[in-house]
Amino acid sequence: MHVGRENLNDAGDLVVEMRDIAKRFPGVVALDHVNFTVRPGEIHALVGKNGAGKSTLMHILTGLYPADGGDILVRGERIEAMTTSRARHAGIALVAQHATFVPALSIAENLATGALPTTRSGFVDWKRLNAIASERMAAFGLDIDVRRKMENVSVAERQMIEIARALFADASVIILDEPTAPLPKHEVRMLFEFVRRQRERGASFIYISHYLEEVFALSDRVTVLRNGRGVGVFATDDLTQPELVRLISGSDVERFRRPVRETVGRPVLRIAGLTRPNVYHDVDLTLHEGEVVGLTGLEGSGNAALARGLFALEPIGAGEVTLDGKRYAASRPEAALARGVAYLPRDRHGYGIVGIASVRDNISLSVLDRLRTVLGFLSLRKVIGLVEGYIRALGIKTPSQQQPVEFLSGGNQQKVVVAKLVATEPRVLLLDEPTQGVDVQAKVEILRIIDELTTRGVAVAVVSDELNELIDVCDRILVFYRGRIVREFRKGDADMTTAHILHAIEGGTEAADDAVA
Amino acid sequence: MTRWRSAVPAVLDNLIWLILIAVVLFFATQTDKFLTPINLRNILTAASVLGILVVGQTFVLITSNFDLSSESTLGLAALIGLFLIVPPGSPTWGAGTEIAPIASIAVILAMGAVIGWIIGALITYGKMNNFIVTLAMLIVLRGAMLRFTNGQAVTSIDSRPAEVFNWLGHESAFSLPWLGAVPVSVLVMLGVFLIAYIVLTFRPFGRELYAIGGNRAAALASGIDPDKRVRQVYMISGLLAALAGWMLAGRISSVQSDLGEGYIFNVMAAAVIGGISLLGGRGSIVGALGGVLLLSIIDRGLNLMQVSVFWIQSIQGFVILIAMFIDAQKVRFRGVAMTPSLDEPAGERDVAAGGDAMEHQPSARIARGDAG
Repeated sequence: MHVGRENLNDAGDLVVEMRDIAKRFPGVVALDHVNFTVRPGEIHALVGKNGAGKSTLMHILTGLYPADGGDILVRGERIEAMTTSRARHAGIALVAQHATFVPALSIAENLATGALPTTRSGFVDWKRLNAIASERMAAFGLDIDVRRKMENVSVAERQMIEIARALFADASVIILDEPTAPLPKHEVRMLFEFVRRQRERGASFIYISHYLEEVFALSDRVTVLRNGRGVGVFATDDLTQPELVRLISGSDVERFRRPVRETVGRPVLRIAGLTRPNVYHDVDLTLHEGEVVGLTGLEGSGNAALARGLFALEPIGAGEVTLDGKRYAASRPEAALARGVAYLPRDRHGYGIVGIASVRDNISLSVLDRLRTVLGFLSLRKVIGLVEGYIRALGIKTPSQQQPVEFLSGGNQQKVVVAKLVATEPRVLLLDEPTQGVDVQAKVEILRIIDELTTRGVAVAVVSDELNELIDVCDRILVFYRGRIVREFRKGDADMTTAHILHAIEGGTEAADDAVA
Repeated sequence: MTRWRSAVPAVLDNLIWLILIAVVLFFATQTDKFLTPINLRNILTAASVLGILVVGQTFVLITSNFDLSSESTLGLAALIGLFLIVPPGSPTWGAGTEIAPIASIAVILAMGAVIGWIIGALITYGKMNNFIVTLAMLIVLRGAMLRFTNGQAVTSIDSRPAEVFNWLGHESAFSLPWLGAVPVSVLVMLGVFLIAYIVLTFRPFGRELYAIGGNRAAALASGIDPDKRVRQVYMISGLLAALAGWMLAGRISSVQSDLGEGYIFNVMAAAVIGGISLLGGRGSIVGALGGVLLLSIIDRGLNLMQVSVFWIQSIQGFVILIAMFIDAQKVRFRGVAMTPSLDEPAGERDVAAGGDAMEHQPSARIARGDAG
């Protein structure tokens, strides 16, 4: 079980060994002689920027793509031409972020896919079906009511069920692809515990993630890819986070820190006594010109709901809200935008980008009315000018304005959404997890963009539980707990540390702070 | 290899025109009756009713909806239009109101728009499924026609006021050298395509429709009212179906309760052959025009070659399959041909194009999968 550090490339008892894997796509070398190994009973993290080759490598391992060169060995046995069915036979399984289940069927039915037990008269034998499913889940330490419909099962549970299903089908290597991106913190813990338990039983995991904290919390070894080349294999314990960041990006990514501001701008958005039953209560909050305010808290503590409410994606509740001194009550997103309130959604593929549409169409989408000629037709010159300006200002890497956004990397997709919002020239910018699913370098760039916006007088609210980033970019951080704002941290104060904020997030009072410090 | 590959999407995107040229050349070599002015005029005239329906359908399809009911709207509009202008107690039917033809046309166009609005309202306010709503409307309107005519035909042959109908149906606008008289209906169809092209490409309205079809949630969060737009595209579809009804009534001078039946298959086929995605958010109206012309040319050409009608249907179905096959290949090539960006090998993007990428899970696709 324990990972010996002395012989990192020992070929003795490897479950998976990928040697000299090469893969070319037209015009591009996607993988340049990459080596990758997995030992029995280890959690092996695979990290790199978007586009470093992680996906391609895993697609080759699972047989989706043929490799142009190199060998794949599973338990020492060379597999000639890997195909998806050979990968499955060899015990390699992929658990995707959005597990492949039928939502309207029960857990038990999903587990039995294709082989429902029947009674003698040919009807489904529910008793037996549920009993078998329960038993299987119990065997992997999952105590779950298998009669529940899949659509009512949380994402973390779904992933655990999928892992259990794969393990039951004799998989010994499970690939977890960004499993925690859609998960709230407490579910991440639950999932990790489950993964560790399965490791103790001898299963191996390949863990792909942008969240480096999680890589350190979970993995035994790390393989780093950069631009299609292997940078190296490391025992996680031997690395520090800054070292890993350097390995991933190939250079020092400096941390961005917003300086302490001397003056406070005029108030822009004022919220007083805002209450939405069972979501948030008595919220008092003022956003000032040029200010960045972090709103943090546990999942469901009301911070994210407040942002969505202000943008009219959810009911906002009752209370007093004013924008520039005038009453603010938007009934629909377009009304919010018209008043100068813009929102960056947490779910980039949902409320964010139109993937099949071009960079140009995405960025100009919210301001089409402003880009018209006298006759009401779109002025291509104005559109191109606007889009070009934002591509430059935000450093969006795209071959052209006409590139469909779905082909950009996560960080650049996010910048496209930011550009679309900034184009509306908002007074108030609400950002919900702005750095989710983007690589280290892009994260820093996005923080820098937020900082720059405030010089134009925009009031920014950032909903996030990435505390380090909030500390770096926010003037104030407000902590939500069970729908109420319980603490405020100010930039420059001694207590604006992750430990203190984390303590407040979990409901700790100020008086108990000393215990943390 | 890289070079020819990068040309592939451009070829695939314009393939409809290449096929069109190939088909024209094929028929021209098979029968000398094909490349004649009268035949080309016939093809264009036959394409005009279909074309107008396809334009309406394209608006709806781009928002990732569809409208099965337009053939019934077409039939009902033709019927009501004639009913309103024939004199009371006309010999063949014994009914009629004999109102001014212009008024009659205004009534049926308004009726088409209202039918469209009702469909849109049921889908958006009523949160009903677009397939079921438009299928039900297809049946309801067809039933209304049957009830209205009691199974008989409405004829306008002897009615002078029907001239306005005939104008759109039969008349010619002007003459061109070689081709000869150009039918009004063909000009109207081309005009409708031109307006649709301008609206879809150069009006904010059109760009918003693509965004709604591409990702409805993102469009909503971008300050667009998707429901309002959906009601508007169904109104456009209904209005154009009524216009097509007017045109058809003028051409045949006699309307039966089954007028327009089966049109919807050709409408869908032409749109899809022309590259309009059934998932929404993709496709150009110019391609749709190519689809309309292709279907009309094949139909006419096979007729001229005296191919059995039974075969004609099968061949048209086959053409649709081939078009869909080519469309499926587009997805494969789309990601590859893009010039690679600096930080991202094309391979990874190719993965994304396949829809099963690990880092780009198809949630966007799921989000706009409500077309069913």
